Amino acid sequence: MRTLLGFLLRASVVLAATALATFTLLWNAPGDPALAIALARYQSVVPAEVVDQIRAETGLGLGFWTAFQSWLGAVLVGDFGNSAVTGLPVLPELVTAMSYTMPLGLAALAIGMAISVPLAILATRRPGEWLDRFAVAIASLGTAIPAFWLGLLLILLFAVQLAWLPAMGARTPSHAILPALTLGLGIAASLTRIIRSGILEAREQSFLPALKRRGVVDRTIGRDHIAPHAAIPVITVLGLELAFLLEGLVVVEVIFGRPGLGSYLVSAIFSRDFPRVQAVVILTALVFVAVNLVIDLIYRLVDPRIGENDA
Amino acid sequence: MLKVDNVAVRRAKSVTLRDVTLTLPSGRTLAVVGESGAGKSTLIAAILGLVKLARGTISWNNQPVSACRPALVMQEPRAAFNPALKLRRSVMEPVKARSIIPEMGRLERLCDGLELPPDLLDRRPAEVSIGQAQRVGILRALIAAPPLVLFDEPLSALDAVTQKHTARLIADLQSEEGFAALIVTHDLGYAAAYSDEIVVLNKGRVEEAGPARSFIESPQTAYGKTLRDAAFALGALELAA
Amino acid sequence: MKLSFTGLSVERSGRNILHPTSLRIEAGERVGLIGTSGSGKSTLGHALVDELRTLGQSIAHVPQSPDEALDPLRSIAFHWREAERALGLDPNAARQQELFHALRIEDGDVGKRSWSWSRGMQQRFVIAMALIGTPDLLVLDEPTSALDPVVAASTMTLLREYLSKRQTAMLLITHDLGLASRHAERLLVMQDGQIVEDASTDQLLEAPATKAAQSLSTHRSWLQLPC
Repeated sequence: MRTLLGFLLRASVVLAATALATFTLLWNAPGDPALAIALARYQSVVPAEVVDQIRAETGLGLGFWTAFQSWLGAVLVGDFGNSAVTGLPVLPELVTAMSYTMPLGLAALAIGMAISVPLAILATRRPGEWLDRFAVAIASLGTAIPAFWLGLLLILLFAVQLAWLPAMGARTPSHAILPALTLGLGIAASLTRIIRSGILEAREQSFLPALKRRGVVDRTIGRDHIAPHAAIPVITVLGLELAFLLEGLVVVEVIFGRPGLGSYLVSAIFSRDFPRVQAVVILTALVFVAVNLVIDLIYRLVDPRIGENDA
Repeated sequence: MLKVDNVAVRRAKSVTLRDVTLTLPSGRTLAVVGESGAGKSTLIAAILGLVKLARGTISWNNQPVSACRPALVMQEPRAAFNPALKLRRSVMEPVKARSIIPEMGRLERLCDGLELPPDLLDRRPAEVSIGQAQRVGILRALIAAPPLVLFDEPLSALDAVTQKHTARLIADLQSEEGFAALIVTHDLGYAAAYSDEIVVLNKGRVEEAGPARSFIESPQTAYGKTLRDAAFALGALELAA
Repeated sequence: MKLSFTGLSVERSGRNILHPTSLRIEAGERVGLIGTSGSGKSTLGHALVDELRTLGQSIAHVPQSPDEALDPLRSIAFHWREAERALGLDPNAARQQELFHALRIEDGDVGKRSWSWSRGMQQRFVIAMALIGTPDLLVLDEPTSALDPVVAASTMTLLREYLSKRQTAMLLITHDLGLASRHAERLLVMQDGQIVEDASTDQLLEAPATKAAQSLSTHRSWLQLPC
């Protein structure tokens, strides 16, 4: 399977480049990383010798390439190392963080689809009329609104003014409603437009009149010939949406004070905790690449014309 | 004179050509007939130098064909033009690109010969009929006065009456301009009526070749007969009452 | 049994592209509908099929190219089953076998999608599908234009054989009088959305009454060979 090999190669390049890029950024972030670690570890200002000691033990004093290489070497054998702040192994921490983030992400995706699919279908019932235009306008607005703004707005409205829903933390399932809604609305916005244009385009396929003339009813045509064709661009976009979702999750977790990959990452960056940061980044990149591979395979199955000329 | 000598072409997924030999003198017309997949378009690509020859040579007057700058008329006129440009600009592209200045009045004369009203060239491809678009394609091919013109199914996109008409115009222009014409077509009737020689391609090989009239009256191979019989069955050829 | 309709017309953007037309076709009759492009023949073909189907007549239509008849995402077998269901018929292997054999497409892999079949086979499949419900009239829109001459010729032969056995009428829409005269016994000439002449093939070839017919007739073949 030449495609599989090609994918593995591309995946490795992406992962390596991402790792290098983040390492570089973190290394060159303002301030002394060893100092940041010291502050995070001891929660107070410490004497210079302690900082130097930290610098030595974390390998920060070795220079960029040596530090990167030793980190890379460990990761390649599966050793993600220990947090520079707590000294505890990173991998278990990641797993815990994921257990908070994954459900939130999936909930957001579910909300997004639950809104966009019916909305797009309804809008395309009468293209160009008020519902359609309204849907497109709302969707365009939605893609322009940043997640943090929307999140804060929802908190103001539902948690503060109306006091219907809790705002901060992850104590109860209902704590997840506002954050999932924040992200879900953003996803719904972009999906609505894609699904809508997918449907409209699918309706232009040249063989549809012939199907009608053969006596195939509209519902069957919609189900068997329009929906599958419309789904193709949607599947493509879902891969891209994932990237935005990951970014949105970080923002939302911070705003809503929830534990999870996002807040884990943010605090790790502030404390210049290289092992933690790198681990999150590698994990995210891996998820992203894997999802895109699955999507690629899915639509090669649906429409084998794609990939015809790959050789 | 165009000389295709023992040419073979290998392509990853599509047809190969094998042992293809033909000659086409100036001012004469050679029709390459055959079914889809026989290699007709590959042959044109080979003559234009767009594919590498696995074997053999193609030459014009014993020089590489590119030296004579052969022109090409394609099957789908609307696909042959940039839809955003006015036709005049597309037509003049070949001469602009080579900084050739056509002689005075050549454009008008050719337009006349192709029955194109002078203001037509100021329109865009979508604003003219398909028959007109095809004739503009021919105009573009002839503007730089090439000694060799290749036609790839030039009439397939046109309806029956327009086909006959356009074929006549091409033939008239050929006697005026004196170019050699190589016409690839699956329409044996057209080939029979307008070419001097017919070459039958079958699965990449030359099945039969000879003067057009004698081929039509008595094809020598079974495949040639099949093609001719099909042309009769479709009404492209008729027996005089 | 014969088909007749009157007053069929089609309007688009306020213009009459098909003027009120009346027509009668006898059982098993082979009629050619000819005209230059833009004369409205395809429109008449579509309107005819759409109208008569709503009236409950059994008519089938074969579009000009297989691209206009088949969904590239679906297998050949899917299309067949779908067509059967649309006609309210149960899957019938014998019927499929018979039609596939009649149009010489038995060797095709029906599990594959249409574009893996040659265009000729695709077109024959579309014709076979049209015959599933044993229609009284089969309307073919430029059936040979997407095909190579050899395949086109054999397709027409096979089709005529099948149609004559079942007394199915055929309306052959084409710009090519040569083709129409070979396969139709009666010819309708269209111009600017109207039928301007209606005559038997022999009559029209011998003495075309209208200018349109004359032009089509003069240009019907490329060459007339001495016997």
